[in-house]
Amino acid sequence: MPKHDNLRFDASSVRSFVVCANAGDDSENAFPTFEKAIEGIVAACSQDDAHEPVVERIEISVQESVSGSSKRKKPSRHFYYDTHLLGACGNGTERDPWPDITSSLNSMGEMYRQGELAAKPGDLIWLDRREVFTATEHEKKKQRSETIAKITFLMMSLSLVAPLVLILSYLLYKAMPALTMGFLTENPRDFMTAGGIWAPLIGTFFLVFISLMIVAPIGILAGVYLNEYARDNWLTRLINLAVVNLAGVPSIVHALFGVGAFVLFANLGESLIAASCTLAVMTLPVIITSTREALAAVPMSFREACWNMGASKWQTIRTIVLPNSISGILTGVILQVARAAGETAPILFTGAAFFMNVADEGWGYYFPYSLTDKVMALSMHLFTLMTQVNNAPEHLVYGTAVVLIGLVLAVNSFSIALRVYLRSRKKW
Amino acid sequence: MTLQTSQSEIASGGSKSSGGLSQLLNRISDKLEPVIEWTIWFCGWSSIIFVAAIFLFVAIEAGGFFEQVLDEETNKLEYRWKGFEPIKGFTFKEFFTSINWRPDRYDKPEYGILALLVGTGAVTIGSMILAVPLGLGAAVFISEFCTGRVKETLKIVIELLAAIPSIVWGFIGVVVLGPLIVSATHQLSHIIPGFQPAFVGVNVLNASIILALMSVPVIVSVGEDSLKAVPDSYREAALSLGASRWEIVYRVLFPAAKNGLLAAVLLGVGRAIGETMAVLLCTGHAVNIPTKLTDPARTLTATIASELGEAVRGGDHYRILFFIGVVLFAITFVVNLVADLVVKGIKGQDNA
Repeated sequence: MPKHDNLRFDASSVRSFVVCANAGDDSENAFPTFEKAIEGIVAACSQDDAHEPVVERIEISVQESVSGSSKRKKPSRHFYYDTHLLGACGNGTERDPWPDITSSLNSMGEMYRQGELAAKPGDLIWLDRREVFTATEHEKKKQRSETIAKITFLMMSLSLVAPLVLILSYLLYKAMPALTMGFLTENPRDFMTAGGIWAPLIGTFFLVFISLMIVAPIGILAGVYLNEYARDNWLTRLINLAVVNLAGVPSIVHALFGVGAFVLFANLGESLIAASCTLAVMTLPVIITSTREALAAVPMSFREACWNMGASKWQTIRTIVLPNSISGILTGVILQVARAAGETAPILFTGAAFFMNVADEGWGYYFPYSLTDKVMALSMHLFTLMTQVNNAPEHLVYGTAVVLIGLVLAVNSFSIALRVYLRSRKKW
Repeated sequence: MTLQTSQSEIASGGSKSSGGLSQLLNRISDKLEPVIEWTIWFCGWSSIIFVAAIFLFVAIEAGGFFEQVLDEETNKLEYRWKGFEPIKGFTFKEFFTSINWRPDRYDKPEYGILALLVGTGAVTIGSMILAVPLGLGAAVFISEFCTGRVKETLKIVIELLAAIPSIVWGFIGVVVLGPLIVSATHQLSHIIPGFQPAFVGVNVLNASIILALMSVPVIVSVGEDSLKAVPDSYREAALSLGASRWEIVYRVLFPAAKNGLLAAVLLGVGRAIGETMAVLLCTGHAVNIPTKLTDPARTLTATIASELGEAVRGGDHYRILFFIGVVLFAITFVVNLVADLVVKGIKGQDNA
């Protein structure tokens, strides 16, 4: 008896018997009737048994004939017998097998006579010797359901990814006529129905840069406080709660806050600096969270070693903790750049202009906005082109959208690439 | 003094080679330690300060406590205390129960935000019906069914999905999804008798789909985190009992991670409620209570975004818009608070 390590059916342990062979069938295991087939099987098995007793689980399958194909089709009926179960008298099912070959064949003959088991001429009877760990019907059903589950979940994931790819390629296709170098470097002309997007592009750059200058120190220091100084008490929990809630405040409420606090109370007016401050408040919580995660990734032993050298807390942070986590902090900050660049609502009433006259050359071309000026922004420009400009050419609108997406995705991809690269270089 | 110097030398590690300047900087930095620690402490508080400030300033504007006046001597705008004056014709009962939103009517303005609340609710619920199964399904797939490169790629793509600005989502809704919905519903109306086609592409359905795509990344990432937080011993125990992976997911992981998954859904809801520019463009912006998916609607956020620019500063309409801001702040605050408490719930269980 061959022993099998694998869990699958093995051809060497399979014997087939053909019932009611056709005239042309010259197989030695062909029998004219079902009863004869059973007798033949008993004889064949007793020959086997002479050499070595059958002590394996065996599956008997009745299969419909497959003409011209040696491939096994799905069997129509299954019966089982198991010589381990001495003296058991089951009904031939998987859970309740017959005790040996003779009783099982007799029972099958009985079932055939009563018409429960239909065997047509040409049908095959298979004897499969199964190892203990072969998949049973129950397990196969489970495997099927698992495959179905896996495919369903895969489809769910793909249904999120596929529209993104489709939509982006559609937008890119529509924007193609506009995407030239001149589109990026020219100012909008003729009531924004011609020209490029230089003025909003540089405006977005200014907004993001200034808001970053404001928020990065505050956010990073807040992250340092939460990870290095804060004890586990109600105050820290309150701060954590505030961070979570600040992240959840709707962007339009940030805009209202910007109007109330920066435009009116601080008397900055609708200006670049007011809009940048509003963006800064909006991006603060995510910078805090990412800084904190980066700091928490520095092992405690680094700090302990430094303290043992006699360094104070701030010395430890400055020389050990920050240098070791600067990459993670940077990644978080860069991600925020992308987010700030795409936001429209917070700058809508705090400093974004529909249109600003920007010089076409010279100093004014590169530094068109002062801190107290209103400013054009790429996201706002897209909004304006869509809703305020009646006869904006289609390719301009699509072009603006694609540049905005491209900008944001490029910054994001850069941040992700940086993260992956730094993670691979991590020494601890 | 000698002790301090040696301390700073030790702390600055390998600064021997970088010479006198960096030592000087180190010494200055160490001298400033108390100041720096105070700054750090203050920055740590910044988030609490800002949350309080947001509420305060929006509420102050809603109350109309201050006014901007031109100081005649210095010829500058000044921000002065005015005192509280109730808005004419405003009652809380009407505010929350009336569907008439006519804030700019001259003789008798009406401030009822029920239709806007319903609009926000309809769009949020619609988007969650789409986003919750898809988001949690994707979270399960990423966390349990795939490994290695596929997992990393999927996570990155979902992260990029989160990066697309809301104005771009709005644009996609108007130019891609809108026409698609119109033609699809017209096709359906030929097949199914009595089915009413959508006459405008911008409606509740459009906004729901766009919002679903926008809030899915939050659901996926938080959901995946909470599935990852379930200890591997749970999975191993289930595997040893003969459970398949699907059985592990819905018999073991879902119950074990249910708080985290709930928090994921709540954060998605928070994002959907607070979204502004995309819904401004995609809902159709009509003040009415939507009765079917193809009806246009209007949300609270979109109302502020579209009307604040036209409202007279300090006027009743302007103050009402800020009051809607307070309501929005309160709604998202509660949603986020509940989500946070729910997450704390799991952490407590894990420690136990």
